[in-house]
Amino acid sequence: MEEALATIEQLAPVRALKASFYAYPLVNALHIVAIGALWTSVALMDLRVLGAFRSLPSASFLAALRPVALAAFAAALASGVALFSVRAGHYAGMGIFLVKMGLILAAGINLFVFDRLSRRSASNGLLSLSAAVSLILWTAVLVCGRFIGFL
Amino acid sequence: MIAGISRSLALAAMLSASLALPALAHHGWGWTEDGFFELTGTITAIYYGNPHPTLDVEANGETWRVDLAPPRASQNAGFMEDTAKVGDEVTVLGNRSRDSAERHMKAVRITVGGKAYDVYPNRAPAN
Repeated sequence: MEEALATIEQLAPVRALKASFYAYPLVNALHIVAIGALWTSVALMDLRVLGAFRSLPSASFLAALRPVALAAFAAALASGVALFSVRAGHYAGMGIFLVKMGLILAAGINLFVFDRLSRRSASNGLLSLSAAVSLILWTAVLVCGRFIGFL
Repeated sequence: MIAGISRSLALAAMLSASLALPALAHHGWGWTEDGFFELTGTITAIYYGNPHPTLDVEANGETWRVDLAPPRASQNAGFMEDTAKVGDEVTVLGNRSRDSAERHMKAVRITVGGKAYDVYPNRAPAN
């Protein structure tokens, strides 16, 4: 594992990013834009499921925001992998980083469960519970991510 | 339902706060003591790159993590990637963590090979 992480750190594009003046802050900016868009789109969907914005039809509201959230997640993942790569071994050893990865996994499982529940036309109570869990998990992911830079 | 939303948001806020409270910020200087601290030891590891270079310094059998200025600022101070090597004796002047159990400091001036590098020149004391 440590060898694999050290290998990542030695890749030519990773070394370039590590030493760059412009690229690293720009990748950092992309990560911020992506997580902002992700959190906002997820929060709006969760709030809709929880009963907010009732004047907007739920199905089309969610259908409009889901691609935004997925695209934002893809951008957050790509920029996050790049930021991670410059000190892969260092970040992989940080508890807060591992907690963040665990929370993202939990949020993914919650999304899967929500999808299954909504296909089976499950009760609003269960869907609302999943939406509340989503809001809490993604907020916690954001906070953990921010603390990686402060520990 | 609005009450449900408020409850969820309150929970999220509480979770965020509980995560935030025990953490000390290592960006900026808020997490460090006000007065200067000097560390002399041997460099055991060097990281030179974004987001900021770090040195691991062994002193009295303990390993300290020393945060430097970002790469461009360190270069402007004359502290380059090859200025210091593992095994070099180094003296670091800067500010240590307010958490006295934590072997972690942020450098203002690094002295290695008889030469001083002010990586935060506006904070460094006059000679």
